[in-house]
Amino acid sequence: MNKENMNPADEKLSAWLRASRVSPALPPRFQDNVWRRIEDAEAPVPSTSRLVWLDALAALVLRPRFALATVTVLIVAGALLGVRDGSQIARRDAQARYVAVVAPDSLR
Amino acid sequence: MNRSLVILLGTLALAMVVFGSSYAVSRHVGESCLTQPGNDLAWLRQEFHLNDAEMARIQKLHSDYLPQCAAMCQKIAAKKMEVETALNGATNVTPVAGQKLAELAALRAQCQAQMLRHFTEVSQAMPPEQGRRYLAEMQRITLGLHEQTEQSMSISAGDMHGHH
Repeated sequence: MNKENMNPADEKLSAWLRASRVSPALPPRFQDNVWRRIEDAEAPVPSTSRLVWLDALAALVLRPRFALATVTVLIVAGALLGVRDGSQIARRDAQARYVAVVAPDSLR
Repeated sequence: MNRSLVILLGTLALAMVVFGSSYAVSRHVGESCLTQPGNDLAWLRQEFHLNDAEMARIQKLHSDYLPQCAAMCQKIAAKKMEVETALNGATNVTPVAGQKLAELAALRAQCQAQMLRHFTEVSQAMPPEQGRRYLAEMQRITLGLHEQTEQSMSISAGDMHGHH
């Protein structure tokens, strides 16, 4: 509406309405929250490719066949290594026992 | 945290627990199955793949050797006591202490020669190739330690001479 065409009574009414409008109080920590949201928006978003890769790997790991195969491999590998190390320890102990009997400490 | 990442980290932890448990149990079982407590000659049979006849010969040699070894050990222990008595309270190596030290060294050399003779006899009771391996291994174990000590001492003595 053109100002020149306004009725002086309308102008008065508008001024009165403006004066009577109550501005609501800002919520607590309003400014902090605004800055936080700005920072969040500016923070680098993890690349989509990495997320896709992680999701694919997690999905693979959760597949029962894959999980079963992995557990089997781990158990077999652990068992083989354990038996090998255990036999080496037993061999060293047996050797030490024999040497201790035939070669007194005073000579070694 | 990302859900996928949590799943992967959890899976990794679980995998480590599974592998570690399997390894620990197998090592314990392997060790206890192969250990024969009370059998001093078990190592010879395992290491040199000896049959019953060879083991019987070696067992005889071993049984004959042990009393000789024990007697020599007693003599050495008694001589050590004499050396300690001779050195006790002395601020110098007296002629008596020197004499006792020489006797101790002679006894040790005698015992060492007896031990090496026993190793030779045992090696001859084995198949030739295994016997050579046994003799080399026993000489390395019983004499090698002396060589290492002497070498390290000669190196450190050389360094000291270089510094002074």
